[in-house]
Amino acid sequence: MIKVENLSKTYETKIKKGLFKSEKKYVEAVRKLDMEIERGKIIGLLGINGAGKTTTIKMLSTLLQPTGGSITVDGIDAVKNPIQIKKRINMVAGGERMIYWRLTGRENLWYYGQLYGIEDDVLNKRIDNLLKLVGMEEKGNVPVENYSKGMKQRLQIARGLINDPDFIFMDEPTLGLDSVIAKELRAYVKKIAVEGNKGILLTSHYMAEIEELCDYVYILNKGEVIAVGTPKELAQLGLKKKKLFLEAGMDSEDIGEKLNEACRLADSSSVVHKEEETFVITSSVDLRAVVSKVCVDNRAVINKFYEEEPKLEDAIIKLSKGA
Amino acid sequence: MNLKTLNATFKRNFIIQLRAYPKDFFFGSLLTGLHTVISAFFMYYLFFKGNMKGSFTEYAGTGDYMSYVIVGSAVYLFVRRTCLNVSRSLITELRTGTLESIMIAPFNRLQYFTGNMLQQTITTSGEIVVTLIIGFLFGLRFSNFNFGAFIITFILSLFSFFSISMVLACIMLYSRDTYISQNTLFSAMFLLCGITFPYQYLPKALQIISKLIPVTDSVTLIRNSTLLGLGVREQLGSILYLLGLSLVYCLVGFKLMKRIEIIALEKIHG
Repeated sequence: MIKVENLSKTYETKIKKGLFKSEKKYVEAVRKLDMEIERGKIIGLLGINGAGKTTTIKMLSTLLQPTGGSITVDGIDAVKNPIQIKKRINMVAGGERMIYWRLTGRENLWYYGQLYGIEDDVLNKRIDNLLKLVGMEEKGNVPVENYSKGMKQRLQIARGLINDPDFIFMDEPTLGLDSVIAKELRAYVKKIAVEGNKGILLTSHYMAEIEELCDYVYILNKGEVIAVGTPKELAQLGLKKKKLFLEAGMDSEDIGEKLNEACRLADSSSVVHKEEETFVITSSVDLRAVVSKVCVDNRAVINKFYEEEPKLEDAIIKLSKGA
Repeated sequence: MNLKTLNATFKRNFIIQLRAYPKDFFFGSLLTGLHTVISAFFMYYLFFKGNMKGSFTEYAGTGDYMSYVIVGSAVYLFVRRTCLNVSRSLITELRTGTLESIMIAPFNRLQYFTGNMLQQTITTSGEIVVTLIIGFLFGLRFSNFNFGAFIITFILSLFSFFSISMVLACIMLYSRDTYISQNTLFSAMFLLCGITFPYQYLPKALQIISKLIPVTDSVTLIRNSTLLGLGVREQLGSILYLLGLSLVYCLVGFKLMKRIEIIALEKIHG
């Protein structure tokens, strides 16, 4: 397990003041972050631009040194033992980086495998397996410059697995990909976590991706964790009012009045209005039981009765603004 | 001993070079050497009328100016190509977007740079051979070639070029610049290190700077071995000086590199 405690990162930047003068400025990118990443789980790291997601990933992957706090991987201090940790982690980023365009897919994987000191027979088998995993067996000997965006990204995932890491950090892995390829890649990510028992930390601006893949999500704002929970739990935080939709059968006009009365009684701020054949009940409390009772008491035929799906995106916007 | 990083970097660079720069770099390098040789040829025969001052023979140990210049140019070409490519290796990774993916791997830096250096040495050796063939047309004569001394001074020179590359790599990675830093250094080398004239002609202050650049002794040692036939024993003082100086450069380069890598990665995000 990766355990992050009180992790902080402050960048020192210089702002030019004239030709020879400059002023130092300190930017706190991450502040006292606590986090856990278990094997076999996909953890989401969300936040608006500049929230500290990429800095967090770079610190976890030993590329940046924290200014405070600790990162341990199965009890080993990642800051003090980077070489030991590097063997057990890897990173995948979106945007066609991290691979050599002049080399073929197979040559890329071979080169990175050599940097990890993997024995040739093990490496060759692993390259075959990884190319198969990402559906690139037939394109392995083609130079990367001839690959499509999706193929480059699939190769990136294979590269991220070349050292058979226990933990993988994925920084917007589906950036710029069309929805078909993005869906394929999400399937690989799920497979890697579940079948490969690897811990994955994922950042993405695509909320559907986070909702589909992540077991647990951390929302960051200005370098601080402002909310933690499952995607469903967090999405609930984004709802200003609860919305119920009811499509009832006969005598629905009468039900409208009854609904209004019952709902007002339960929550004075609730509003019932009709949109075509559907009653929309907006309230700050859960009125599902009240609405059901009204329908049962009036022997109304219920065609549809559902609650508005909360959106993770709304939660992030709401929480970020609130913070 | 596990030399995987060295071997892999060597192979990777060869493949990339074969696919990316098949002709352009080769001719570019040849032209640099050719340009220097032809300039020297015209200067020697049109301005100096084939006569050099007595002091030149005293400082250079030979009156054969064309051979002096051609060997100097060949060494300069070697320095340029090796320094340029070895020192640029990390900043090239930064520009191609592969710096982070290699930095996340637990690879050996010394092997990585040595792999780059070896690949460059082989490529440049090919260019030097062609340059020397052209040089023979312009009057190059190895009248007193000491093969044993040449091999030793050549290997030592490679180490000295490698050590300069390490320091230059730090400067490039820190400043994220290749153009100004490399051209400033190469101009200084060309003017101060005795490529086309003995450094003893320089003012005293510049001579001190010249002696602090390993290329000066490197080019002198190679000339002494190939044109004057001097052996290792006769050049031992210079060999030890060059070895010591190169070691200092190498240690400073590697020591700085660790710090510069951190700064470079911070600059990407900060």
